[in-house]
Amino acid sequence: MKDTLRWAYALNQWNYRMDVFVRHEHQLRALKTASALGFDHLELSSGMGGRWDNLGRPEVILANHGDVAGFRRFLAQGSIAGISSIFWDPGLPTEEEGYAFLMSLDPSQHERIAAAARPYLDFLSAAGGEQLVVRPVASAWMTGPLDDDAIGRVAALWNRVGELARASGIGLAVHYDCLSGIHSRAQLETFLSATDPALVGLALDTAEFTIGGIDPVGFYRDHADRVTHVHLKDTRFADTGEEYLMPGAEATMLNGGGGRRIERWFFELGTEGGLVDVRAFVSELRAHDYPGWVVVESDHGGEPAELVMLNSWYVQKELGASR
Amino acid sequence: MTWTKWSYMDHWVTQTPQGPLPPQFNRAYMDRYLKQLAATGFTGFDTFFFTLPALAGMYGSLAGFEQRLREVGMEKITGLFTAYPSATAYTAPHVRETHDRIFADCEYTANAVDGLAVENFIVMPSSTYYQTEPVTDDKIKAMAELWSRVGEMTLARGMKTTCHFEFWGAIRTREQLDLFFQYADPETVFFFCDTAQHTIAGVDPVQMFRDYRDRCTGFHFKDTHTVDTNEAYRTPPDPEMMAPGVDRWFYEMGTPGGLVDFPALMREIVTSGYDGWLTVEHDKADTFGGSYAEATCVAKWYIDNVLAEAQAEAEKELSTR
Repeated sequence: MKDTLRWAYALNQWNYRMDVFVRHEHQLRALKTASALGFDHLELSSGMGGRWDNLGRPEVILANHGDVAGFRRFLAQGSIAGISSIFWDPGLPTEEEGYAFLMSLDPSQHERIAAAARPYLDFLSAAGGEQLVVRPVASAWMTGPLDDDAIGRVAALWNRVGELARASGIGLAVHYDCLSGIHSRAQLETFLSATDPALVGLALDTAEFTIGGIDPVGFYRDHADRVTHVHLKDTRFADTGEEYLMPGAEATMLNGGGGRRIERWFFELGTEGGLVDVRAFVSELRAHDYPGWVVVESDHGGEPAELVMLNSWYVQKELGASR
Repeated sequence: MTWTKWSYMDHWVTQTPQGPLPPQFNRAYMDRYLKQLAATGFTGFDTFFFTLPALAGMYGSLAGFEQRLREVGMEKITGLFTAYPSATAYTAPHVRETHDRIFADCEYTANAVDGLAVENFIVMPSSTYYQTEPVTDDKIKAMAELWSRVGEMTLARGMKTTCHFEFWGAIRTREQLDLFFQYADPETVFFFCDTAQHTIAGVDPVQMFRDYRDRCTGFHFKDTHTVDTNEAYRTPPDPEMMAPGVDRWFYEMGTPGGLVDFPALMREIVTSGYDGWLTVEHDKADTFGGSYAEATCVAKWYIDNVLAEAQAEAEKELSTR
């Protein structure tokens, strides 16, 4: 996109099952789709690793393409200039980590988590990426209520990883999501206070914030200096009944509808009835000369190419960028 | 500057609450479809005659539909496609007794877009080969007479009647094509170059364009992986979907195994001075689970990268002459 903001697209929507987005020719079609719609940088998602998650886990990327230069040549075949970022949830078991469920609440696991961040940081550094985007803590239905001490323990981990990231020339952006144990605005602000701004940034996801009951525009206005990464997407619903606390909320709320039979929480930009004031949010980014990546994310809302097309249309026609 | 007049031929299927259906499903889906095309950089919209009532219904009128096209960033309806693929007792272009009926149909369709700036009235000049054969000189002459008459009528309304030949149609070989254009009025009957259809029939679309440049008013840019060497074209009941041994004839630009030399065609187009619309068509892109949306993006990537380079080369060559 030609714009003062830097736009990227998240690849995660194509990889909806472990064995569907593996062959390079299929991946190239996704790269060309993003490119044709004006996105020349991509955010990767770490996934669960192993031989089929070959656009997420660095070791597997390298096994597929030989080295970082080979991977960049692969991206270039689809006219993709580079990667903006990688999303990583250490709580999601990966084959390379022995399928461990790494828990940031447990200080005894911090050294292991910090070590597990290393392949991503090394890869991002070598590949020209800028941000390691992390899920800071498990879902609230698993963690239970987090007090300030618990949030402080989590913050200590990410300060430590942030130091490693800084040493690698990479930014660490902690991503808020609507199921997270760090849920309320107060908890999030406690977390930000407990982390070093020089080491830990915030990945502000407009739909996740809105579902979680936090106004993304107001929050950004108040904490613009901490926001180092953006996920831009819309939602038609907010969690008004503490549905995030439902056992198995990933399935019961996000997929199961949270008791209201909501079939889909995340929507493309410009969706009818969207709750995110996308234009106002992007205006704030522009007003603050936001320097980071704005990653547009579909998050499994329908046929991948159709959603990139709709998001691209909105970015071009309503947000002032051009393809 | 890269080519700006790209239009999209209206084949599309999307997922609706009622399953996979064309976007004419309802206005919301149609709007999404138009935005998707606009986002990809298409500004022209080609469609079928039978879609017009649905568009007029959803948008109040066809003028209302064009207004919506402009609102989302497109320009207008550029082409209207009409056809009689099956020869019937009522309509068969090679049978002169049916010409009045076909002419009346075409006049009705042309009247429906009166007041718009549609440029091409795209027709299949013949019915299926197997229903027409033996394809005689006189049958080709009869078809030329029909479209000359229709062409005069549409030209008076600002549209060029332009002939889109199918690999399974009665006018398919280079000799048949040349004979048809000899008989057809050069003032009223034009040539529409479908790259895949000609290639399947064993006709070089680049050479066709080179030879009929003065009568060419448009293209369907689509690819194929197969030349019909087994006379599938004359196989009843339908060679396009049911030919033994060929599950899929048509592909978007840029797939491995594609036979059409699009860069050569693009260079020829630029060199010739042609300045009309170039149309992308994805015919049956959902075969084997494919996606129209993804096929469209992949084709547009090909345009933005491979064809843009071919265009730049040709323009550079022109500038040094």
